[in-house]
Amino acid sequence: MADDRAARILAAIGGADNIIEIEPCITRLRCELEDGSKVDEAELKAIGAHGVMRAGSVVQIIVGPEADTIASDIEDLL
Amino acid sequence: MSVKVLSPVKGVLAPITEVPDPVFAQAMVGPGLAVHPELTAGDAVSPVDGTIVTLHPHAFVVATADGAGVLVHLGIDTVKLKGEGFTLHVAKGDTVRAGQPVIGWDPKAIEDGGRSPICPIVALDATVENLVDIREFGPVEAGDALFTWQR
Repeated sequence: MADDRAARILAAIGGADNIIEIEPCITRLRCELEDGSKVDEAELKAIGAHGVMRAGSVVQIIVGPEADTIASDIEDLL
Repeated sequence: MSVKVLSPVKGVLAPITEVPDPVFAQAMVGPGLAVHPELTAGDAVSPVDGTIVTLHPHAFVVATADGAGVLVHLGIDTVKLKGEGFTLHVAKGDTVRAGQPVIGWDPKAIEDGGRSPICPIVALDATVENLVDIREFGPVEAGDALFTWQR
């Protein structure tokens, strides 16, 4: 994936220091974060997320079927 | 071009709004249907002819030759099982025929573990108007036609 989506998503969830775990599941990124309030939902939607679901420090970003690729791109940046 | 999408499992066909997960119920990744699977161990089969483009123990996407992606998810929150109880019969990148076994699983074990074994079948990035000839809700066999995806 030769685009900057992974980097932009990483920034929109508070950067590498805010991430405890990122797990892809077919259509979504499940992110366990130190601080869920750092998530910039508007930016995630601007990047192309279909939706963002938040439950405290766990945030699910619905990115579509490329979730696996995006998650591994983000992991490369950590 | 239209694609006939088959049921991956035996069970009871239901609207996708019955899936206890907003991503599927609200069709965030596309419209589709859901099957409450029969609670016996068996194989989930490919809903279309195509290529396995995404493969997890608990879910997969088959893309047809013209790029229609059909997602099958075996139960809800089953990513948490880390593959336990699922047997892969294919590999990512494999070519499959509609009706070919893809993943072996046991819906009863999933329900016993406190999760819903319901299977959403999603036409990725389609619109609801693209889905026609939708089968009547009720009992369904693996391999029965569920809907036609007009493209």
